[in-house]
Parts: sequence; structure tokens; C-alpha cells
Amino acid sequence: MAAPCVFCGPAIASRFFLGGRVTLAQGQGIWKPAAAELQAGTRSQILRLKHLTVVKTKKNVAASRPEKYTVDFIKKQIEEFNIGKRHLANMMGEDPETFTQEDIDRAIVYLFPSGLFEKQARPSMKHPDYIFPKQSAIQWGEDGRPFHFLFYTGKQSYYSLMHEAYGKFLDAEKRQNQLQAKDLQMEKTKTKDPIVSRWLIKEELEGMLAEKLSDRDYTRFIQLVERFSTLQCGAAEEEFLRRFRRSVTIQSKKQLTERLQYDEQGRAFSTSEGKRKSAKAEVVVYEHGNGKIKVNGVDHLLYFPVTQDREQLMFPFHFLDRLGKHDVNCTVSGGGRSAQAGAIRLATARALCSFVTEDEVEWMRQAGLLTTDPRVRERKKPGQEGARRKFTWKKR
Amino acid sequence: MAAPSVKAVRGWSGLALGVRGVVLRLPGLTQVRWSRYGPEFQDPQTDKEYYRKPTAQLTEEEKYERELRKTRFIKAAPATKTSSVFEDPVVSKFTNMMMKGGNKVLARHLMTQTLETVKRKQFEKYHAASAKEQATIERNPYTIFHQALKNCEPVIGLVSILKSGRFYQVPVPLADRRRRFLAMKWMITECREKKHRRMLMPEKLSHELLQAFHNQGPVVKRKRDMHKMAEANRALAHYRWW
Repeated sequence: MAAPCVFCGPAIASRFFLGGRVTLAQGQGIWKPAAAELQAGTRSQILRLKHLTVVKTKKNVAASRPEKYTVDFIKKQIEEFNIGKRHLANMMGEDPETFTQEDIDRAIVYLFPSGLFEKQARPSMKHPDYIFPKQSAIQWGEDGRPFHFLFYTGKQSYYSLMHEAYGKFLDAEKRQNQLQAKDLQMEKTKTKDPIVSRWLIKEELEGMLAEKLSDRDYTRFIQLVERFSTLQCGAAEEEFLRRFRRSVTIQSKKQLTERLQYDEQGRAFSTSEGKRKSAKAEVVVYEHGNGKIKVNGVDHLLYFPVTQDREQLMFPFHFLDRLGKHDVNCTVSGGGRSAQAGAIRLATARALCSFVTEDEVEWMRQAGLLTTDPRVRERKKPGQEGARRKFTWKKR
Repeated sequence: MAAPSVKAVRGWSGLALGVRGVVLRLPGLTQVRWSRYGPEFQDPQTDKEYYRKPTAQLTEEEKYERELRKTRFIKAAPATKTSSVFEDPVVSKFTNMMMKGGNKVLARHLMTQTLETVKRKQFEKYHAASAKEQATIERNPYTIFHQALKNCEPVIGLVSILKSGRFYQVPVPLADRRRRFLAMKWMITECREKKHRRMLMPEKLSHELLQAFHNQGPVVKRKRDMHKMAEANRALAHYRWW
């Protein structure tokens, strides 16, 4: 590839062509055009010569603009990639039809083992869509006139989307007013009972439009689309709005319920682990019992003299109204007294999930019993006395 | 729950209804106040009765809120919160404010001792009083505590505002949480400083609480002084711009 010196803005994985052309990563210095010409391959050479001429004219211009690629260029790159993929499959002795990206990666790692630490500097072969940044298609014709009528706003996709959405919104409003005038409006019961979907978040919208947005732009868009959805609209508008909705992860209760096990006497029990700060606890909860809790072989009253810790042990049982009904046997290590209590609390809550209905598991999750507490001790920073405390300020 | 890694969770923001100002995490600007939980985590609801309520009794809003909570990530309950009926958020807050050097054990011990002393004193009075007076004597230490703190809350506060080179004390309305904080702070400071060296905290604190309950004592006096100062500086009220 002729001119990585011009192409290197973002860190792009290098392209990999077959036919004896090996390209190095773009951060690795200027690839001399003379050296490039020595490579074999006629078709590619013609292509490269084309690039050479482009580069030569661009040398006189201030080179800080991101490179723009024509649509034809990208298409050609995609064709070449596909052909190269088939060649690679043949080389590896695999079926070209079912050669996936993972197979390509594996083949490249096999053929060109690299010891470089930076993963993005290693040779790789990816689809042009991943290499060339999406928005780099040139947006003006040969006469310099831009294609899109909103080009000079700077964010043409965003504004054209807003324009389109607002147009549809006005139409829908007009239609609704007409129906209202004729008293033909159907009562819209749009109470969203199950929360199945959400609007796009800002990052997703940016990806869709291939443009950077500000927070304000995003808020305006959401406000517009939200108002639009409150109107009664036909199938076409629903389809339009559905493009901007994503399904919500179905009720993050992906809680793994432990299996019930049975010991020699036939008692049912359930085991689970929990941790908090650096304390780790493993707990066995028996289904039928008196409410005795043994920690590291010692009764919980002796092991936890502080009331707060004992309250934490009782919390899951009290929450489920099962205070005297289970026997618990646990081992705990690490951490301090409060951390150990928290670890045992988490472990008992998890173990109790196997004795309890799904609803109650969800309640426990909403009460915060089933989340591992991610808070850990913050490290001390250099130049400060502690994690937050600074040294005494002295005027001189 | 197989706790989702915090990193994976960070990028997720729930429904955009009431679009929250998502705090930008720019690489150059790190925030000073940050938390191990992402902004999408919600506070846990430990009250048992909230969950046991039958569906028929819920309003539309509550039903919607329930559905919404099912899709959210929830933080872990802190070590001081349980579903116990004996737990009082005001008492917990006061205990934390009394705590010195992280010695929660001692702070909680002092708090329980205080409440016990209050109860004992009230019972002594009750047994010594005639039948008519007995009806008026309040014996529940928790009601006394709450009422005493409420009596100590100032309604209006003073703020130093710099204007043309001089600091003026300007009367300013206080938020609820600021008022509660000030009441507790004054109570604790009063008990720490103005007591005999040999007197223990529970004794002093119970004495002050009972006085505040009857709208007497130094803490209520301090509140009244604050109100008088605010009244005196009424003319400066227009210096406030918020």
C-alpha cells in the first residue's frame, strides 16, 4: 500500500494483500514509494501508481485533514479483500465458501507469527469496513459541490435525520388533528406496561450516523422522538421509530440458582460462595433446621460479637421470613469483621435462592442482597498522604 | 447475581425518558468524586412491606416503577442497612455523625446507651407522677429523639457573601437535609464541648435531648439565636442571587 504516511490518522490495522505484497503497520514509518514499486502484482501496481499520483498532488496541501475515500475505492477494496480471502482459504486448504473472519485471523497468525506487544501493530487482514473509517467517503463531486444539501451544517446526517423526523411528526400531528376534528380518533392506550425496549444511547446514535454528536444534540433528538411516539401513528411511522429502539436486557435477573444437593442423611442443602473486599466465604445452608449458624466451627454469637455483623447475617433470613428455619455452616477467611459478615451475607442470600420462588429472588436482588459489593480500598497515590488526603499545604 | 463486570455495565444507560445528563468520562478529565458503581445503578429497597404489597393495591405509577426496577442494576445493600423494623435512618445518621475515627462499635454503643438513659429517665418521671400527668409523659425514646431534633432544626440560615470587598451574613433558606444536618451537628457539638470532664456522653446527650424535646436548653437557644441574626440581617436578603 503506497502511502501510509498520509493514511495514518487513527491506528488502523494494516491491510494484507496476497501475491507477495506484505504491508507493515502504518505507524512504522514512511513506506517509500520506490520500495513499493519493487513489489510484484500488476493490477495492484496500477492501483498503487494511482495512489502515488494522488499523494504527490496532496503534498502541497496542509496534510492535517483526515483522508477521504471515494465510494468506488472502498468497493474495489472490498472486492480485493474477498478475492484475497478465497486465496487464503485455498492456501490453508480450507473451503473458501465457509471461511470466516476467525479463520482468517488464525491463518494470518499462523503464516505471519509476530512477537510485537501492540496487538494493533501485528499483521492482520480485515474487511475494509473495519479499516477505513466509515465517514471517510468523499461528500463532494468533482466540481467541489457537496452532494448533500445540509453539508455545510457540519453534521449532515444528524440534521437530515432531525429534518426527516420532524417532517413525519408534523404530518402525523396534522392527521391526528384532522381525525380529532372529525371525532374519529381512536382512544390510544399507550401505557407501556412491560418495559421491553429503550431509545438508543448517544454512542449508538453516533455509530448509526457516523458523526460526532454533542449531548445537547442527543437530548434534542430524544425529545423529538419521544414526542413523536406519544402521537398516534401509522405503520410506517412505527417502523421509522423502531429503528431507534433497542431491546432492554430482559430483566437483569440472570441469577444462577444453585442446585440443591442431598447429603447422606437425605437432608437437602445448597452451597454457595460470596465475597466482600478481601474476605471470601463459603456457605452451606440446610433446608430444615433451627436457625443455628456455625462460622469456622464456632457459633456466630461468639465469632461476631458486634451486633451489626449479626444483623447482617440475619438479613437474608429476615427478609424472606425464614428466621428460624435453616441451619447454616460456613467457612470464611480474609478481610476484617465487617467484610466477613458481608461475604457471608452474600453467600447465604445466593444459597437461599434455591429454596425460594423466582419472585422472591427478584425481590432479594432489588433489596441489594445478591450484588457483590464492588467497593474496595482505594490505593494511596504518590504525592498525597492517603487516597484522598493531601499533604499539608505550606505557603513556602 | 453473577455480578456483571462494572466495565461492561458502564456503557449501558436505561430508558432515555427523563434523559439523565450522563456524565462524560473524558480521558483528560477525571472526576474527583466517583464511585465503583456506574451511574446506572439504583439504590436498593430493603423494606419488606414494599414487596409484600399485593398487586391489586398498587397505583399505575407504582406498577410502572416496579417494572422499571426489574430492568435496572441494583447496588449492594450497605452493611448498616437491614430489613429490621428496629432500624431508624435518623438514628443511623446520628450514630455516624457521632462516630470518631471509624469506631462504629463505640458510637452505636453510646447511641443505645443514650436511648436507654432517656427511657429510664422518662419512666422514673412517669412512676413519680400523678395519674393526670402520666398521660402527658412521652416514654418512647425514639419519638423523643425525633421530636428533639425537629425542635432544633433552624428554618433559615446565614451565608457569608462577598460583596464589594466585605463579607456580609445573608439570610438564606435552608434545604431539608441541611436543616437536619445542622440540628444533629449542633446537638453533638454541644454535648462534646459543654460537659463536665467526668460526665459520660450518654448522660449528657440524654439530658440535652430531653431539654430539646421540651423546647428548652442550649441547642434550641442556638437555633433561636440563628433566627434572630437572620431577622436582624433581613435587609441584606437581596444580596442572595439564587
